[in-house]
Amino acid sequence: MRQNKQKGKKMKSIFIIFIVFILIGCSKDFLEEKPLGQLTSDNFFITAEHAIQSVNATYESLRDFRVHVFAYLALTDIISDDADKGSTPSDGAPVQVADDFTFDAGSLIVDETWQGYYRGIKRANWVIAKVPGIDMDPVLRSRIVGEARFLRAYFYFNMVRWWGGLPLVLEPLNREDIRIDRSSVEEVYAAIINDLTEAVEVLPLKSEYPAADLGRITKGAAQGLLAKVFLTRKEYDKTVEMGMAVINSGQYTLAPNYARIWSKEGENGPESIFEVQATPSLIGGWSQFNQVQGIRPSRGWGFNRPSDDLVRTYEPGDPRREATVLYVGEVVPDGSYVVPDNPEIFNERYNQKAWVPDSERAAGAGSDQGGGNIRILRYADVLLMVAEALNELGQSDQALLYINMIRDRARGTLPPQILRPVTTTDQSELRELIWKERRVELGMEQHRWFDLLRTDRAATVMQAHGKNFVPGKNELLPIPQSQIDLSAGTVTQNPGY
Amino acid sequence: MINIYFHHRIFRVLSLCLLFPFSLIGQETITGTVTHEQGEPLIGVNIIVKDMANQGTVTDLDGSFVLDLPAGATTLIFSYTGFQTQEISIADRIDWNITLESAVLTLDQIVVVGYGVQRKSDLTGAISTIESKELQRIPTSSFEQALQGKIAGVQVTPSSGEPGRGAEIRIRGVGTLNDASPLYVVDGMLLDDISFINLQDVESVEVLKDASATAIYGSRGANGVIIITTKKGTISDKPTVSLSTYTGWQQLANKIKLTNAFEYATLANELAVNERRPTIFPDPSIFGEGVDWQDEIYGTATIQNHSLALRGGNEAIRYQISGDYFNQDGIQHGSNFQRFTLRLNNEYTVSKHVNIGHNLAIVRDWETISPDQSGTAYRADPTIPPRAEDGTFNDLTTNASTGNPIASIFYANSRNKGYRMVGNAYADIKLFKNFTYRSNVGLDINQTRGKFFTPVFFVSATQRNDESVLTATSDQIQSWLWDNTLTFYKEWPNHRLTVLGGTTSQVYNSENLSGTGRALIGDTDEFLFLAAATSDEPSNSNTSFQWSMLSYLFRVNYTYKDKYLFTGSFRADGSSRFGAENRYGYFPSLAIGWNVINEPFMANQQLLTRLKLRTSWGVIGNDKIGAYPGRPLVNSPYYYALGPNEKLNVGATIEGLPNPTIQWEETSQFNFGFELGFLNNRLLAEIDYYNRTTDKILIDLALPGHFGIRDNFPFVNAAKVQNRGIDLKIDWQDNINKLNYSAGIVLSTVKNEVLELGENKSELIGGALSGGRFGTRTIPGLPIGAFYGYSTEGIFQTAEEIASQPTVGVEVPGDLRYADTNGDGAITTADRTYLGSAIPDLIWGATIGLEYGGFDFSIDFTGQQGNLIFNAKKQARFGTYNFDVSYLDRWTGPGSSNSEPRVTNGGHNYEVSDRFLEDGSYWRLRNISIGYAIPSRILTKFNVQQFRVYVSGTDIFTSTKYTGYAPEFSSGDVLSVGIDRGIYPVAKTYNVGLNVSF
Repeated sequence: MRQNKQKGKKMKSIFIIFIVFILIGCSKDFLEEKPLGQLTSDNFFITAEHAIQSVNATYESLRDFRVHVFAYLALTDIISDDADKGSTPSDGAPVQVADDFTFDAGSLIVDETWQGYYRGIKRANWVIAKVPGIDMDPVLRSRIVGEARFLRAYFYFNMVRWWGGLPLVLEPLNREDIRIDRSSVEEVYAAIINDLTEAVEVLPLKSEYPAADLGRITKGAAQGLLAKVFLTRKEYDKTVEMGMAVINSGQYTLAPNYARIWSKEGENGPESIFEVQATPSLIGGWSQFNQVQGIRPSRGWGFNRPSDDLVRTYEPGDPRREATVLYVGEVVPDGSYVVPDNPEIFNERYNQKAWVPDSERAAGAGSDQGGGNIRILRYADVLLMVAEALNELGQSDQALLYINMIRDRARGTLPPQILRPVTTTDQSELRELIWKERRVELGMEQHRWFDLLRTDRAATVMQAHGKNFVPGKNELLPIPQSQIDLSAGTVTQNPGY
Repeated sequence: MINIYFHHRIFRVLSLCLLFPFSLIGQETITGTVTHEQGEPLIGVNIIVKDMANQGTVTDLDGSFVLDLPAGATTLIFSYTGFQTQEISIADRIDWNITLESAVLTLDQIVVVGYGVQRKSDLTGAISTIESKELQRIPTSSFEQALQGKIAGVQVTPSSGEPGRGAEIRIRGVGTLNDASPLYVVDGMLLDDISFINLQDVESVEVLKDASATAIYGSRGANGVIIITTKKGTISDKPTVSLSTYTGWQQLANKIKLTNAFEYATLANELAVNERRPTIFPDPSIFGEGVDWQDEIYGTATIQNHSLALRGGNEAIRYQISGDYFNQDGIQHGSNFQRFTLRLNNEYTVSKHVNIGHNLAIVRDWETISPDQSGTAYRADPTIPPRAEDGTFNDLTTNASTGNPIASIFYANSRNKGYRMVGNAYADIKLFKNFTYRSNVGLDINQTRGKFFTPVFFVSATQRNDESVLTATSDQIQSWLWDNTLTFYKEWPNHRLTVLGGTTSQVYNSENLSGTGRALIGDTDEFLFLAAATSDEPSNSNTSFQWSMLSYLFRVNYTYKDKYLFTGSFRADGSSRFGAENRYGYFPSLAIGWNVINEPFMANQQLLTRLKLRTSWGVIGNDKIGAYPGRPLVNSPYYYALGPNEKLNVGATIEGLPNPTIQWEETSQFNFGFELGFLNNRLLAEIDYYNRTTDKILIDLALPGHFGIRDNFPFVNAAKVQNRGIDLKIDWQDNINKLNYSAGIVLSTVKNEVLELGENKSELIGGALSGGRFGTRTIPGLPIGAFYGYSTEGIFQTAEEIASQPTVGVEVPGDLRYADTNGDGAITTADRTYLGSAIPDLIWGATIGLEYGGFDFSIDFTGQQGNLIFNAKKQARFGTYNFDVSYLDRWTGPGSSNSEPRVTNGGHNYEVSDRFLEDGSYWRLRNISIGYAIPSRILTKFNVQQFRVYVSGTDIFTSTKYTGYAPEFSSGDVLSVGIDRGIYPVAKTYNVGLNVSF
């Protein structure tokens, strides 16, 4: 009896423990796990700091390997008559296809570029959609949105020139938005012009930014890019309008020494309008843009070799040739190094606007974490755009002023028979001269291919250059097959691919 | 018949409170010996008095015993593991020299099931058991690898040949697009990673395959469950010491056939001409064989394992202490894995009603990692030796654009050190007569610290490091679990009933800490600390995630007259991974069985000694989808330099996409099985048919590029997939005089079919290849992740032929001819078609064993049939890589070849097509062993119980048409199964070993 009683007590206590445990288990909090050390979409886009960080992340896309490095060089310089693939003959097969016009819907560079640019667009879309709802200084708020609008427009502008019509994504997507048709070229440009126009409205001038924000997008950058959009669209009066706004802003002048623009000191110089910022840091902030083109093997990979055709284009004595092409045996501009002969490279030469100065490498670190900025839009480019548009508008005499500013600066202190001023006012003669001036002034700066496309010369020039260019096809890149497949066939292929 | 063995296992596994308080009051004393059929004495035979379970003794080293018979004793029961139990009436007996007959296979085995044990004869589920000695034949640190070819319905694929690596296990096909690995339960602790298990410590392994068996694990059980029970202490007069040791040698099992330097140079020149470039080698004939990079990076490696265990116990304490040291070099130079395991499995009888115990493994491991160079060795230029005459490493980028693999190995300095403690502690409390309460706390603490150092070096423009860099990492995983169960067990004359109810909760936390320092003040080991970094830009990272689960479980087992069996189970799982609306999942199962052999009408036949039919149905879930799938995280820091001093500004953005409606994946499984025994169970067979349908499959589906997402696609419930097939196991065991022999085969078939896709999708795309191409499609009606691309129809021989046939438009003579599958007269992407599947139709394993005198011999085979492999490493050529020998048959002019196209590095001939598909069927000599055990009559004189030496060979021969390293490799992602992007090959091993116990 007593034993049983004791036993009963023991049972009871055990059952109580058991039941208590079950009740504790029922507590709702037990299954509430919050992400650790990371914000989520629920608690982001709340503060001004979030707004700044979100636009900074959009800038960061400019350094993306897929946006401004290997494939970018392939699809701007190497694809054009300015440059050959470079490096050793069999290195870099994915880039070779650009030089040979053998790229197809499965080519790596095409797919990578598509994905890289849309990643930047996505980040811009977050800023444009969410930052206006943040309670913060309204001036800073609209500036941040303006910066994002510029960047989005820039990404789309490159893309529309490569592919034509695109799936036009202007806000953050939901999972369901898999089937988005390609918008027409007109619609894409309308969005680009809308973004840039808004950006022009809200962005401060270069001089209005605090020093710590040097490198952010300015009103001048938006105007300059808009000028280029209009020039591409052959809307010459608007090109002049925007170009003159940049010229009259008083924010920019031509750098006195052309060759020094691509030095470390030349970063964000007097004629810099839009420049991708990079720093030789080991934790981030660097770009491989220069490494890919650097002197092989010690300072880079040696891709993007200035072509014989480009070298021949310079007028006798034009110092810009020397400033653009780096030869074997030449001392690099900062005097630190002589380009050695690399027997594995056929007809070795390099892009001098992209070599890697030792000062732009992080203390002792690899050339991959390079700090050289990427010059996207220079004042000289704007002057030449204005010259070209004025000439097209029949104001050839005024155009001379701007083209000759470029030639004067290039000549510098050299004898006057070098790069004599252009005097012709014959519209078509001047047109050819402006185009040629653009080619030599902006050589190896990734403008040539887009210039050939917008002036409808790609087929003629590339065929004359000995390339297997197929008219009606190669003006546009193929849409990556993966994108057609992943969108369940909604995105359609360009003709000929 | 409840035999002693049953009680014994119950005692050990569930620790029901069965005590043997010995009474020493005797009236009559008997003495005798126990031997087996061949006359050898049997040591440690249990002898008890029937109906007086606490009265008895065991035989000594000579097989003899002395027993004082208590009053009223009528019958003695002699039992011994592996022998038929005998009951002998005391009254009739004068001579107590007993011979026990070996039990061919024990029928009333006790099988470990989820949260309990069951008699095998009462099982309604498909559960396979494997004995530990079967596993211990394979020299490996990996429990998973040892399972290969042993269990019907289980496919084991080594994850890598690197030392210390595990394997990928698939039970009954792939029912999910996510992690399809089974759940491991080690002594009650639920785990995903069992790399700590020392094979010598394993007592038994149960593989739970059907829903009746796995549903008690609810959301954790969808991919099957593997229950591992480690060895426990036993009651014995004196402790047993066991030593087992082996040493072996490993070598590359199979080399990929590549072109030599002369052939390479010839092909490379031809390639340059085909791609309209100047030729590279002025005179290929100056090269002979050149460099065989596989010979350069692979060599002979040693493997060894030494294990020592002590076990014993009495009524109060049973103990098992073991230590194990494993050391394996990788066949690729510079890699090594060492592991020391200490295990303490003790159980204490605290009172008549309370048993407590713990099973604890403490593991220390060291790993030296050599970066996998198999892909580079496959591609590297054979015309350039590894080193120049001055000893410096040669640049291999010139033609082949690869790094120098020997330099990569030389400059690597990567090491991991791990501490891990896995274990559980439990209390079993017998409440009333039929109730047992069990509380079990499981714990897994895993701490891994890594050092990854790269010195300054220069080999080529792309293979270089200009500043020394050290990354130090510390990863900590902590998981705890608490089960509380109450079991009711009662037997009536015609009924047996077990009811189990309980709760279980688990929390899993992972935290990672890492730092990187540069420009170290020295390169040698004593400087490999972050404090030695001189760079002023240290970077550090610290991330963590956590998930938790809370579950309720319930099960009923009922047996009527040993003939009719019923099992019902139910589990409710709450998971922190899902939003509040979909937080709980409910997982029921039902099963019935019929032991036909116990029916009266079976009594008069002699042929069958076992016949059972069983069938089951149930629903199980899967939540292996990352800790926070519902909401996107903010990704940071993205740096951008601003200002005159290029100050780094921090950026942050949302890379992913939200999916708050995400739900549990659900697998429903139907199983129908037979268990058959013939000829006194000399022939045993088990056959199961299964049909497993997984719905609402969770997958991080790739989205179009316009989403701007590349790596962190959101999870969605996207598909419904069915796996059907048959698992078959047949064993034969007999003897011819003194020759004992056995043969067994396991075999399983899988037919995988996608039934439907969610979101109105017609296909899922997967298997990413170079150039943004994809190799697989998942389409209703076809197997999951089926190969999809162009079907080839030979080679275009002439320009005329090209003009007359459908083409893409870029072809020249020597290019592949793709089939115009839609007949529209042109080759377009619409002509891509289903090319086959990577899922084998048949997986099998076979084993033959012989024993004669002291000699034993065994041979194991394993294989699979009917799967295709996409040789992706051959399809990606980013430079003029070395060539597979198949390129020697290339097209060089009309009529030269109709299978291998002209040599190029990319373009038309490198589209996804059946050019790169190869037959992955194989059979392999998995293991062959010969051993000799010194007869116990000799050993007894030295007080030794066992002394066996053996030699063994593992994976020494594989027959396959596949040209890569091995036709089986793991790919991680289920939509990429069978895509060989380059694997670290598994080695063949020869070893010699010794087992001693005393």
